[in-house]
Amino acid sequence: MQPKITAKALCGDQEVGKISKVIVDPLSHEISHVVVKESGAQGLDRQIPIGQIQQVVSEEEIVLRCSPDEFVQFPPIDRDRYVTIHEVEIAHLEDHLHVEPGEVLVPLPCLEQGVPRRTFFNNMTHAIGTLIALPLAYPVLKYLMKPMFKPFDNAWFSVGNIKKIKQENVGFQFKFTRGFKEAFMPEQQIEKNIWIVKATPEVQKAVYGGKDTKFFDNKGELLHVNKANSPYIGFSGKCPHLGCGYKWRKTKSNPDGVFLCPCHLSLYDEAGKVIDGPAPRGLDVLPMQVDAVGEVKIIDIEYKAGVKSQIRLL
Amino acid sequence: MQQDSQPVNQPNPFEKVVEFVDERVGLKTIQAKMLNEPIPGGSRWAYAFGSVLLFIFILQVVTGILLMFYYVPSTDHAYDSTQYIIHEVDYGWFLLSYHFWGSSAMVVMVFAHMSQVFLWGAYKKPRELIWLVGLALFGIVMGFGFTGYLLPWDQRAYWATVVGVEIMDKTPIVGDFMARFLKGGPTPGQMTLSRFFVIHVMVLPAALAGLAGLHIFLFRKAGPAGPFRGTPEEIKAKTDYFFPRQIWKDIVAMASVFLIICSLAFIEPVVLLEQATPDPGDYHPEPEWYFLFLFQLLRLKMFGGEFGQFLGAIAIPGAFMAFLAALPFIDTNPERNLFKRPAALIGWTVIMIFILIFTVSAIINREFLH
Repeated sequence: MQPKITAKALCGDQEVGKISKVIVDPLSHEISHVVVKESGAQGLDRQIPIGQIQQVVSEEEIVLRCSPDEFVQFPPIDRDRYVTIHEVEIAHLEDHLHVEPGEVLVPLPCLEQGVPRRTFFNNMTHAIGTLIALPLAYPVLKYLMKPMFKPFDNAWFSVGNIKKIKQENVGFQFKFTRGFKEAFMPEQQIEKNIWIVKATPEVQKAVYGGKDTKFFDNKGELLHVNKANSPYIGFSGKCPHLGCGYKWRKTKSNPDGVFLCPCHLSLYDEAGKVIDGPAPRGLDVLPMQVDAVGEVKIIDIEYKAGVKSQIRLL
Repeated sequence: MQQDSQPVNQPNPFEKVVEFVDERVGLKTIQAKMLNEPIPGGSRWAYAFGSVLLFIFILQVVTGILLMFYYVPSTDHAYDSTQYIIHEVDYGWFLLSYHFWGSSAMVVMVFAHMSQVFLWGAYKKPRELIWLVGLALFGIVMGFGFTGYLLPWDQRAYWATVVGVEIMDKTPIVGDFMARFLKGGPTPGQMTLSRFFVIHVMVLPAALAGLAGLHIFLFRKAGPAGPFRGTPEEIKAKTDYFFPRQIWKDIVAMASVFLIICSLAFIEPVVLLEQATPDPGDYHPEPEWYFLFLFQLLRLKMFGGEFGQFLGAIAIPGAFMAFLAALPFIDTNPERNLFKRPAALIGWTVIMIFILIFTVSAIINREFLH
């Protein structure tokens, strides 16, 4: 049984005061003291350790172990050394306290008494909320997805003249600018690059395996054929590892030069085959035409990086 | 003599206003509750990281809003407007550099905060949810770094995004959709910049503010964990409130971090590279320093090829994050003393050494490439 605050405190048969406060240990969350307000107008609040409570006679009455003379020896509470539980944040303190003078109740409004529709209203609220959200989901998704998939651009771009290439089996970079039109933006000129190798027959064989390479558009129609014996091979400038731009570099172990990607250090030989590093496939060969005066045209294809097979992105 | 007849404790007009507001808002109670939070075992410098993070975030919001006064998120103006902020606007270079270094400071502090909570065993019951929300906040901070990096639209920005999104693309099933969704198309362009911008300045700040609020609410609900050593009596004897000792330590830590960020902004102000274009030229793409170890990891042959890449870029980091999320539920031993949790101590040390080695080797590789 819990005594109420305002319960009488007795020493033997004599009433010495009433409980006015309780003190809680912030660590154990247990009551450590009760504060008993002495009877009489000038009565002091005395701090009594919880162990001094001999018996809780009823909610209205407790009996202390001490005599009335000993009672007045207990120190008066120094209020400044305490804060109320409303002024401090001790986690779960309230959960452990049962010292209120009983439960505090307010009457339920008449209209709420005995009405079994709470669950119904609860469910209806959620149902209507869902009905508001559902029709929005698809339009919002479509709204956000609008630019994600675009048709492929199979136009030919001039990238320069082949006469620039003086050596065989060496990578030469060809920079070109192309128009790039996106949604509402004015058309922008963006710089891109490809690499072209003038290949010896061995390298041609390494690239094409002796077979013509056919390029198709997404409807399956033939775009172009790279002949197996064409001496010029154009590689997309995008590293098939994770999409960086690679370079032609001479290294200690490859004094003749290799394609090196500075990002994750993939190495490719002049045929675009992976020599070293993390790349999952060799360099991507582009559909390429060289006309009579040596002007080079390519279709600007990009494949997804990081996968074994060529998946066209644009 | 007139004054003598006045009662001494008559409230002045200011006190009357305070009283008026307090009666309606309950400010004094809120303030008391905020400040009077017992810290078991007393205040410590080690507890300052969370407060410092909040401080950095607030200043990132302030500097970020200021940058938006001039910044234009379009591919034909982003670079020029950023250059304008750096070169033309008074103190623009400082605000931009502060925002830049503030983001690094945020990552460092998140790291310190997580390490402290981990080493103190403070993620354990009943604080599992604080830890989980904290992990989500970690993800958001990384998302801030990744999306903010693109906005200046220079070569560094562009290529970090190209590679970062390619990595995301390697997620099974949803990867392609995620990558296209973020890019707003097959390749980076205006749509990418728009998306990264709105994520950086609207979505992530809202998410971070909300989750940080939840984080602090849950923290207050559970109460601070306190030290992992000491008897209840010792801890009780050393306990103090959040105010003033901890707040003092927090404000000193905040001021120190502020000075460090300012110094970095002065010593190493942001300088842009060439404007972004799909031709990297002589630029060697690299992510921000806190992603360098992952970047270096992906250079390893064992994390090459289609499967290796999935392993290195998605599976291992994903499994590590899943492990961190599951940690409070796997590690149900209530023992919090670090020196009685050898696996935790060794594990943390190994991960730190791993990150350090890979970061340093990425930097050494950089020299080798030049």
